[in-house]
Amino acid sequence: MSELPQLDPVIHAQARLRVTVALAGLHTGDQITFPRLQQLLDMTAGNLSTHLRKLEDAEYVEITKAYEHRTPVTLVRLTAAGRAAFESYTKALHQLLDATGGD
Amino acid sequence: MNDDEPLSAEESLNLIAQQSRRNRRELGGGPARMLAAWAFAWLLGWGFTYFATQTASIPGWVGGVLVAVLFVLAITYTGYVSARAGRGIRGPSKTVGAMYGYSWALSSIGLTVIDIRITQFGSLSSDQVSLLWSGTWLLLTGVLYLAGGMLWQDKLMYGLGAWMIVSAGLSVLVGFPANFLVLAICGGGGFLLGAIVYFVREKSGRR
Repeated sequence: MSELPQLDPVIHAQARLRVTVALAGLHTGDQITFPRLQQLLDMTAGNLSTHLRKLEDAEYVEITKAYEHRTPVTLVRLTAAGRAAFESYTKALHQLLDATGGD
Repeated sequence: MNDDEPLSAEESLNLIAQQSRRNRRELGGGPARMLAAWAFAWLLGWGFTYFATQTASIPGWVGGVLVAVLFVLAITYTGYVSARAGRGIRGPSKTVGAMYGYSWALSSIGLTVIDIRITQFGSLSSDQVSLLWSGTWLLLTGVLYLAGGMLWQDKLMYGLGAWMIVSAGLSVLVGFPANFLVLAICGGGGFLLGAIVYFVREKSGRR
């Protein structure tokens, strides 16, 4: 029997998993503004910032600050590495479920 | 819920499914609702126009006014839904969506000018004018759906475009006033069928 897969600790936490899913729902190359992401997740700004920083440290997320009509905007997107990590995470989940017989 | 509590694999999958549903709802799951709005406008508007040609009691302009009102409503709804879904999103898909929207506006204005000008020459009978309008508008609709199919690599949308072009030919071949039936049943029915297929796909989680 093959070894049980390890779940990526960066993604495997309730809040960061939801952030990752929300970002993975965008088309490749698209970015989302911080407030819209916050609304999509129903998270406080502080909470979301904390988790985004952890995802950014792992290089799963790219955060860009820009100006639109002289107003600063924070744009967030999932990196290619982040998308790949999310894909292998969901694959690992399914493997775990199969192995433990849960379904 | 506590952020620090460890998740089981099952809980994780549930969480993913939950947030994906939320994404689909907020970011616009697909064109099902917009197509349904257009199906409603075409079926009711053109259906009524055809009905008006069959009875002497309804003046011809009533159908025209009804179609205009329904189209304005459908355009407003389509604009509202896409603007709502695109809030806070930046990037290629937003640009493509905006360009597609402007393509509809630009080509509609262009075709309106051409059709009005040809109508004003007065060399066509009113029956022939009716065919000019139904044929060219079904053709334009079809071509723009072909373009949408290419943009989003969506075979169903491309197929809908092809169907609209077949309907354009059919509408001029059957002549007045059956061209309104083609607009209502083939055009509106095409939108309705498309809406149903997209809706079923959304529900079953396919994109």
